[in-house]
Amino acid sequence: MRRESERDAAYQVDHLKFRYGNERNGAAAPWVLNGLTFEIQAGEILGVIGPNGSGKTSLLKLLAQVLRPHEGTIRLFGREMRAMSQNVVARSVALVPQDTQVAFPFSITEVVLMGRFPHHRHTGLLGGFGWDGPEDLRLAEQAMRETDVLQLADRSIGDVSGGERQRAIIARALAQEPHILLLDEPTAFLDLHHQLEIGVLLRRLNDERRLTVVLSSHDLNLASQCCDRLLLLDKGMVVRLGRPEEVIRPEVIEPVYHCRVLVDRHPESGMPRVTLPSGKPATSRQ
Amino acid sequence: MSQSGTSPTDLGSCSSAAPARVSWQTSVLTSGRWLVIILGLGCVSLLVLIVSLRFGAETVGFSEIVRILLLAVQDERAGLESAGAVGVIMLQVRLPRIFLAFLVGGCLATVGAGLQALLRNPLADPYVLGISSGAAFGAAVAMLLGIGTSLFAVSALPLCAFLGGLLSILVVYRITISYGYLPVHTLLLAGVILNAIFSALIMFITSMMDPNRSFGMMTWLMGTLTAPDYPALGVLALYFLLGMLVLFSQARSLNLLTLGEEAARALGVEVETVKRTVFFSAALLVGAIVSVSGMIGFIGMVVPHAVRMVHGPDHRLLLPASALAGGSFLVAADTVARTILAPAEIPVGVVTALAGGPFFIYLLVARKGRLAV
Repeated sequence: MRRESERDAAYQVDHLKFRYGNERNGAAAPWVLNGLTFEIQAGEILGVIGPNGSGKTSLLKLLAQVLRPHEGTIRLFGREMRAMSQNVVARSVALVPQDTQVAFPFSITEVVLMGRFPHHRHTGLLGGFGWDGPEDLRLAEQAMRETDVLQLADRSIGDVSGGERQRAIIARALAQEPHILLLDEPTAFLDLHHQLEIGVLLRRLNDERRLTVVLSSHDLNLASQCCDRLLLLDKGMVVRLGRPEEVIRPEVIEPVYHCRVLVDRHPESGMPRVTLPSGKPATSRQ
Repeated sequence: MSQSGTSPTDLGSCSSAAPARVSWQTSVLTSGRWLVIILGLGCVSLLVLIVSLRFGAETVGFSEIVRILLLAVQDERAGLESAGAVGVIMLQVRLPRIFLAFLVGGCLATVGAGLQALLRNPLADPYVLGISSGAAFGAAVAMLLGIGTSLFAVSALPLCAFLGGLLSILVVYRITISYGYLPVHTLLLAGVILNAIFSALIMFITSMMDPNRSFGMMTWLMGTLTAPDYPALGVLALYFLLGMLVLFSQARSLNLLTLGEEAARALGVEVETVKRTVFFSAALLVGAIVSVSGMIGFIGMVVPHAVRMVHGPDHRLLLPASALAGGSFLVAADTVARTILAPAEIPVGVVTALAGGPFFIYLLVARKGRLAV
């Protein structure tokens, strides 16, 4: 039974601690993540929620090995991540950051094709070259079709709207053919229509490819709708991990967010739905 | 059931994909397009080289140029003897100088393109960032101490120039990481300050020298190309080509780095290795460039920018295309420097600065919306 659960875990996070700043002046910096222990199952959609500064973004960056933990370990499919090269991680984990600023006028196709980088050989004196093969182009086209940016393919990434850029970056992550997709605030720049589309897309990828999805969100309702389980963080610690109906409850949410909330049920899905009370939100903090 | 359900949509997607295929792939860089552009630029470079041979204190006809070149290719000595004084001017003075200009210009443009990607800032340039003046300071120290008597391999001068350049790069890089990226105004400020500090130090060193040597140093600082002999040119060519190949080998990693360091890392780029490689080879190349030709400014900024406007920002194409375009540009600038006040020469650095400076201001003013980071 125990072995079974180990094999099925995409991530095993054990006593993870992280803070910004280097070793010399790091002593003064507070822990951003202070001893997280939890597992992410392969094939699930996990939503990471919590107030500003609770460590959501840092956690996603640590899971993509963009940042390295100060203490504790992260195991990716049972393998200790510390020992894995960046390229090996990138072949199974894709990260969609909160916002991407591209310094030069790359076209959206070019940006999406960058997702193929971890699958190419790029060592040696000629490793800087190497061309995108038919398979790369096919995957890029498929990814752009899925995120609805194919008609923008030749536009410069700097010239499109924030939402279009976000979808292009999601397409890049899909072109990476990951087993695990990490998204930091994926819907922050999206209008309602595209919020829904991204939600549907994630669900479909999860069904069809058994893609494990970890997303952070401020939108508790979206998280509750999309996710199999929710991880509620506060001040770098796990408050609760469980199914949406176990986490989205007034007695769990209110002390973390310091405000009163109303929770009812979504009329279609029956999942919990959060509403702020009418009038002034009564803050319990001073 | 699923068969019949999917077939209409499949048909639909096929018919819409056929015309779409043409449009969405146009920005993809293929080996064919790469080859065409590089060969095209190669031909243009060759043309610029031949045209530049024509001009100088004494104008030589094209048929004469071709005849001498053909003779020289067949047998160098025989070519020289039969061509006489004109042949000597062409093969011993102009040709090596043009080769040198091509190498220096190409290298400066490649280094500029690499630094722009790394600092995520299209205004980066070895000269603007103060790397050239750091290298010049190193070289000036070597001259003052008298350890830079010979110009090439055996001398300590390129080594000192390299160390000076590396020092500047490290300072700029330190500023970059304290911000996470390099905002335009910080970059310019850092460059201005580094340039001011190193200029002051160089002036101090110049004032310590006797007037004869200090005059030579001033001319060198303004950027001068002096024809080397062929063996030295060969060593230099090998060195520059190796350095540029190292930069080319980072082309795809540099593409990803323009998305930001964290994004690049998440895509599997060993960011620290790439940065070390590019900074170190940039310092090595700029050190060598400064020790042979002094401070030639703006090529590293103007040329990659122009190439990017025409051919797009993909570094697989941008780096070699900048090398060819930068080489041609400096050859042309040097030809202007040689001929405009013939028989007197003006330092080529003056020409490139006069051409590049206004372009730089244009970029700052006209495109400020796109550069404001």
